[in-house]
Amino acid sequence: METEHKLTGYLTTRVPKLLFGLSAFFGIITLFGLKTDAHHAYASYLVAFIFFLGISLSGLFFVIIQHLTRGGWGVLVRRVPEHFMNNIMLMAILFIPILLGMNHLYHWLDPHAAHDHLLQLKAPYLNKPFFIARSVVYFAIWIVSARFFFRNSVQQDYLGGEMNTDKMQKRSAIAILLFALSYTFASFDWIMSLEPHWFSTIFGIYVFANSTLALLCVTILMYLLFRKLGFLKEIVTIEHYHDLGKLAYGFIIFWAYIAFSQYFLIWYANIPEETMWYMPRLANGWGVVAFILVIGHFVAPLFAFMSRHVKRNLLTNGIFAATILVLCLLDVYYVIMPTVSKTFHISVWDISAVLFIGCLYFGVFFIQAGKYSLIPSKDPYIGESINLDNA
Amino acid sequence: MKLIVAEYKDVPSLYHAAEAFRDKGYTHFETYSPFPIHGMDRAMGLKQSKLGWISICGGLIGCLSGISLQTWVATKAYALVISGKPLASFPAFIPVTFELSILFTAFATVFGMFALNKLPEWYHVIFNHSRFHLVTSHGFFISVEDKDPKYDESTISALFKQTGGETIEVVTDEN
Repeated sequence: METEHKLTGYLTTRVPKLLFGLSAFFGIITLFGLKTDAHHAYASYLVAFIFFLGISLSGLFFVIIQHLTRGGWGVLVRRVPEHFMNNIMLMAILFIPILLGMNHLYHWLDPHAAHDHLLQLKAPYLNKPFFIARSVVYFAIWIVSARFFFRNSVQQDYLGGEMNTDKMQKRSAIAILLFALSYTFASFDWIMSLEPHWFSTIFGIYVFANSTLALLCVTILMYLLFRKLGFLKEIVTIEHYHDLGKLAYGFIIFWAYIAFSQYFLIWYANIPEETMWYMPRLANGWGVVAFILVIGHFVAPLFAFMSRHVKRNLLTNGIFAATILVLCLLDVYYVIMPTVSKTFHISVWDISAVLFIGCLYFGVFFIQAGKYSLIPSKDPYIGESINLDNA
Repeated sequence: MKLIVAEYKDVPSLYHAAEAFRDKGYTHFETYSPFPIHGMDRAMGLKQSKLGWISICGGLIGCLSGISLQTWVATKAYALVISGKPLASFPAFIPVTFELSILFTAFATVFGMFALNKLPEWYHVIFNHSRFHLVTSHGFFISVEDKDPKYDESTISALFKQTGGETIEVVTDEN
């Protein structure tokens, strides 16, 4: 069964080479940006990094939650998120430029921050050694969890039996706990501390809601791509696209719920130290972006993709996933960029950083996907996924 | 109202009998079982339920009621300035609007489901079948109503027998 469901052809040979070539090209542009316009380009790089890191982390979340809930429906669509989760090691390498450029990004590292009373009070948490140590711990947690779930899943492809599933189910509880804490604190450290005076306890969940939506969309698109090229045509059926679409639809609402919860309390209390985060984000063109996000990331898809017929049509399902994926990137951009750029304008570095990391990310993804079976063919619950039926 | 009713031994025979009636073009037939059977809607050839449309109507009514009630209260009935905000401050209205949308959707769904199923219904002709009381424990039944354009007792009972139906009875309000 494994040999039948393997990714072959140019997706595993020529496409990764092309992607690596493009990545090198955009990497040089990004590098040029980091040298000449460090202030802006490092933030652009952070946007791209956070976006693709989010896909990997939410891939990990998707896999953990499948094992934690003993989910049967998603077995056939688990391998792609598993490969995304496995890309966390690539993201660890791509974190190095952020460590090198942290002085450009995080102004609490500036020497004159010492005169800032609030930053002095926050110094026991926001200081360079502790920041680096925490980052190392986050990546350690993610790499260990991702490796564990990936290794067991692919091992099961040839071992069969329930041993690997038992192990993964047992570890999934502690893994989800560590995941939630590390994701929240990583969001605080790497994104929220861009504005070190500001704080929002819900911030990690906000970032998580957006990244999980991005993961579901990119997963749908990846399976559509495989289908288009003739892989898994009879295996991943309309029922799986429907279920992934439903989950994505749920996360659209979840994202809006969390985003509004954060905005609402700050708007109501109207305290300067909290509203300072939203003020620049609602002026100088950023207000338009906020409006696009409210409409495009929530209101329009809420109605447009409510119907099951839209989710069960592969074309509309794909359009939905592609649109939302772009808006997820815009959301990351909206959260990070106003810190360095008071007016909304997309620069060359913004585009080159996304393409640099994106091409590298998918290049590695395709090579990895070609090495293993496209489905966890010996998972004990695979029957449930094959017989999936949304009635 | 007149029904012709047959009892079946188990789920597979009921399921295949339903498929046979669907394929023969019967439209006013009903299946009865002690528990829900997956895929029975498809075996019977039922169309997509209209319940979703009722739910969304409920939701939209809830949404509009939430917004209009609060706008009226905040700007006309009790026009009080609260924490220096404009009278019609829509962010403040969203939680209640959201909750009312959910509540009305739930009401519309539950009561819409009742209405579509014609519930509550205390009496039905099929209760006159001699063994129908078994439907809550281990009985499986199919009934065909005389409204069906293809209603013909002899061909239907032949189809019942062919698909494994037993205790075939014609029940009316009189017996």
